[in-house]
Amino acid sequence: MNSDARGALNRRKFLRNVGGGIGAIALAKILSEENLLTAASNVSAEADTLARLAPHYEPKVKRVVYLFMHGGPSHVDLWDPKPDLVKYGGMPLPDSFGSVMTRRKVVHNPLMPPAREFRPRGESSIEISDFLPHISTVADELCVMRGCHGDSVNHPQSVYQMNTGSILMGKPSLGSWVSYGLGSENQDMPAFVVMPDPGGGLKGGPPAWGSGFLPASYQGTTMRPGANPILNLKPPAQVTGRQQQSTLDMIYKLNAKHLEDRDFDDSLAARVRSYELAYRMQTAAPDIVDISGESKATRDLYGIGEEPTDEFGTRCLLARRMIERGVRFVQLYSGDTLGWDAHNNLEDNHSTHCAKTDKPIAGLIKDLKKRGLLEDTLVIWGGEFGRMPMSEKGTGRDHNPWGYSVVFAGGGVKGGMTYGETDAIGLRAEHNKVHVHDLHATILHLLGLDHEKLTYFHNGREERLTDVAGNVVTEILS
Amino acid sequence: MVIFASVTIVIAETYNKGPSIEQELTEEELSHWAFQPIQHPRPPEVQNESEVANALDRFILARLEEKGLSLMPSADRRTLIRRLSFGLRGLPPTQEEIQEFLNDDSEIAYEVLVDRFLGETAFGERWGQHWLDVVRFAETEGFEHDYVRPDAWRYRDWVIHAFNKDIPYDEFVSLQIAGDELYPDVPDMAIGTGFLVAGPDMSDINIAEERSHTILNEMTSATGAAFLGLTMACAQCHDHKFDAISQADFYRMRAVFANMYFPEKQKRLNQVFFEPDAEAPATHLMLRGMFNSPGPVLAPGFVRAANPMGLTVPETEEDATTTGRRKALAKWITDPEHPLATRVIMNRVWHYLIGIPIVGTPNDFGVKGDRPTHPQLLDWLSKELMVRNWSLKEMIRLVVMSATYRQVSRPVDDTWVDAVAADPDNRLLSRMPRKRLEGEAIRDAMLFVSGRLNRKQGGPGVHPPLPREVAITLLKKQWEVSKDESDHYRRSIYLFVRRNLRFPMFDVFDRPDTLASCGRRNVSTTAPQSLTLLNSDFSLNSARHLAGEVLDSGAIDYSAWVDQCYERLFSRLPSDSEREIAIEFLEGQTTMLKDAEREVSELAVPLGTENTMDRFQGSALTDLCLALFNLNEMIYID
Repeated sequence: MNSDARGALNRRKFLRNVGGGIGAIALAKILSEENLLTAASNVSAEADTLARLAPHYEPKVKRVVYLFMHGGPSHVDLWDPKPDLVKYGGMPLPDSFGSVMTRRKVVHNPLMPPAREFRPRGESSIEISDFLPHISTVADELCVMRGCHGDSVNHPQSVYQMNTGSILMGKPSLGSWVSYGLGSENQDMPAFVVMPDPGGGLKGGPPAWGSGFLPASYQGTTMRPGANPILNLKPPAQVTGRQQQSTLDMIYKLNAKHLEDRDFDDSLAARVRSYELAYRMQTAAPDIVDISGESKATRDLYGIGEEPTDEFGTRCLLARRMIERGVRFVQLYSGDTLGWDAHNNLEDNHSTHCAKTDKPIAGLIKDLKKRGLLEDTLVIWGGEFGRMPMSEKGTGRDHNPWGYSVVFAGGGVKGGMTYGETDAIGLRAEHNKVHVHDLHATILHLLGLDHEKLTYFHNGREERLTDVAGNVVTEILS
Repeated sequence: MVIFASVTIVIAETYNKGPSIEQELTEEELSHWAFQPIQHPRPPEVQNESEVANALDRFILARLEEKGLSLMPSADRRTLIRRLSFGLRGLPPTQEEIQEFLNDDSEIAYEVLVDRFLGETAFGERWGQHWLDVVRFAETEGFEHDYVRPDAWRYRDWVIHAFNKDIPYDEFVSLQIAGDELYPDVPDMAIGTGFLVAGPDMSDINIAEERSHTILNEMTSATGAAFLGLTMACAQCHDHKFDAISQADFYRMRAVFANMYFPEKQKRLNQVFFEPDAEAPATHLMLRGMFNSPGPVLAPGFVRAANPMGLTVPETEEDATTTGRRKALAKWITDPEHPLATRVIMNRVWHYLIGIPIVGTPNDFGVKGDRPTHPQLLDWLSKELMVRNWSLKEMIRLVVMSATYRQVSRPVDDTWVDAVAADPDNRLLSRMPRKRLEGEAIRDAMLFVSGRLNRKQGGPGVHPPLPREVAITLLKKQWEVSKDESDHYRRSIYLFVRRNLRFPMFDVFDRPDTLASCGRRNVSTTAPQSLTLLNSDFSLNSARHLAGEVLDSGAIDYSAWVDQCYERLFSRLPSDSEREIAIEFLEGQTTMLKDAEREVSELAVPLGTENTMDRFQGSALTDLCLALFNLNEMIYID
């Protein structure tokens, strides 16, 4: 090969690897000089890890908003009416229920009736308690799975299991698997965004949205409302936008020379591209969190500008803005270190947390519906487990992973239905049980992913989100 | 319960008589390359003798010659000292070191440099981190409370010390598995067993049996991954799907650790605790890997496929104070006939120096792992390790002295095109692989060139400030910033390792999660990396200090500034065109800042001792330093 031909080849490789962005102008110049514009238009950023990938089959939904109620909300006080719990309130747990593993010593405590009354809601007459008056108005959109169950009575293990399928730390989270399987629809934004509760202190910490053994690019990027939504998104105060622009220009120029001397090494070229993405994110991310253009009606719908809904309402609205812009998986946490963990005074705890989240969640569902987004978005409501029918300290309830409710709304799922049942007092899932693995299999299914085929080879094993289990809950599919 | 126990005994007895809970190993399983005895092959003949610097080059060159290739020429001295300095010390060379090396026209100049770097404490700090990856080291237990293990740093210091003192590898292994059993009268010899309990733990979980089951399985898996390159973890629930490791193999090895216990008063796993008396509870094969499904009882033993020596765990002696089982395990792993242990460590050494391991999956030498690209070389290195008294320093020296290691990593003549065509993935090592620095080395280098790196060694982990957004994700008091500010600038290996929170700079650059042994880090390229280097306070402060250092050096004009920056950061001087671009940038930036008429307090002025500088020019220099931190050349080593 003569050196001219090699040069042309290398330049093409360079263009393919580096693409558009910061250096686009400089590149366009090189391109026109070299008369290679045609060649360049044929190549796209196909090598990007976050580029869009194909699902296994026709998806029902394209994106997910996961509302995680941290601490363990009580199914028997919110979603799962148990007349027997009212009737036998104050009585001990009958012997016929056998031995029960609990976190605290509550097995011999008296049964505690629900803190609020349940009523049939909407045309479907799903019973939901008075803790959730706003969500009750969208009952006909909801699929309430009342027979869910998991494997651990402890918080972090259950937070990990609900997020990663395993009670152990360090497995990739659902959102990471989804971005690994489907990529992002928006090259300027990460595929998987997490908005933690501003109170912080999730039990189990950031590994809940970690990518585990999947590459780091699939881990959840945390975003916050306000001026600085992503860590290090903006230059420090002493560096102006113009100053940074010229800095980036020089970085580009010197990197281009370095690259040229190194045979247009792919990994070096990828790093040049990462500066372009960073630069685009600096515009895209603040644009997402800038809600000044949202109408008053929309803000009111989410309870923005009023207490106690302003904070969670803002995050719910941001979730909508993110999925509109192609973010694949958005996860919101409600609840600080203690969150919904109502070991005592459940009345007070759940009143507080419901008041903060009920209206924003209803608002989100209504807003998605109005905008035609609900038909290809899955909204998930759930905690890491539910709570025991017995009382703790007279006014609270202990953790219950053996039976609880998780709620779906949106595309591909039947609205206005309940599925599965716990026993007479809500202690254990009994009929049409849905294990965490089944939830995960179903979520992936709705996204067009086969949970048995979405695998990643690691340490000698084809790893899956659902390990060796998981069945799609076909009965709830529309 | 009684009935249940007797049933188990019946099964166990049946098993001891023969009928199987596991299949006999097949010839095919045993024929897997990694289980074959290690050969000591003669280094092959090569056509071009003049390219050979030492024997290992012959293995590389012979393969290249088969393809009509040869080794690339040696890199220039500036590239070599940079490569060697990062490889052995994790830091860039100083300007003085570079000058001294350039001026040394002796034939042994490079060799002298190698020996000097190997003798520095920075060597242990660099290689210690490699090992801490392998042993999933952290100083907290993870899960909800992420409790601190107050003495875990002693193990980290022990590892650094072991590399610096060049403790023979067989001893290094033995002390980590059985230091307390081997030297019961010397408490310090037990520090290495911190390896066993370095993994995650859930001390809060309700069920004590589940906790100890999980820990023992983790310990067994970590031992398999770190020393044997076996994915033992795959065999805890069922026989290994691909490799010749039965579930019984797994639990026999686990039985070695069976007398581990949790002291009542000390809830945290600070150090390993094994019952001092010689009794150990029976180990069951746990059906489906579940803590509450004990199957047949198993005696302690070793993975059959990797035990051609036929070693067994001896019965505990009557007057013994420990079971001696871990001592036996250490003896098995370090047996000269063991087919895996030396191959595994030499593959790691090669990987850390060359950048591409001989076996691409350093923690998986099983059938699903990669095949060695140079099996003979791997065997030869393994035998040489033993010949050289298990000295890792000797072996590292051998590798860096080779012509293979010294090759250029970029095109310098026409042979490059042929090499890339015939060896596209560089599996034959027709050129030196380019390596991306780890987050730890990037941070250390930035502190070093900006004159701030605190070289204090050892002691409890330090806590530099975290960005507020990160700090609030933790529980209260989980990251109390070190009071002495100089501690914020310690080498990365001395930063406190919290399992639930990776230090942000390390997190974005693929630091492993400390939840399982990591033999090879991911190398991802992401936008958050760029944002970190571009926008973090750490970057800006480093740039301001570097600018201060440059001014303090007496460089008086733009050209001298640029030269100073380049040599400090990239160990070389800029080309004419690079210098031109940088000077143009300084001029443009100065004008821009001047036009904006910003006050000193609004500018990132250099933080040196000289403050007489024009503030706009000074800030432009800071911008230049910040830009250079972001270049590919900063984090990719040729």
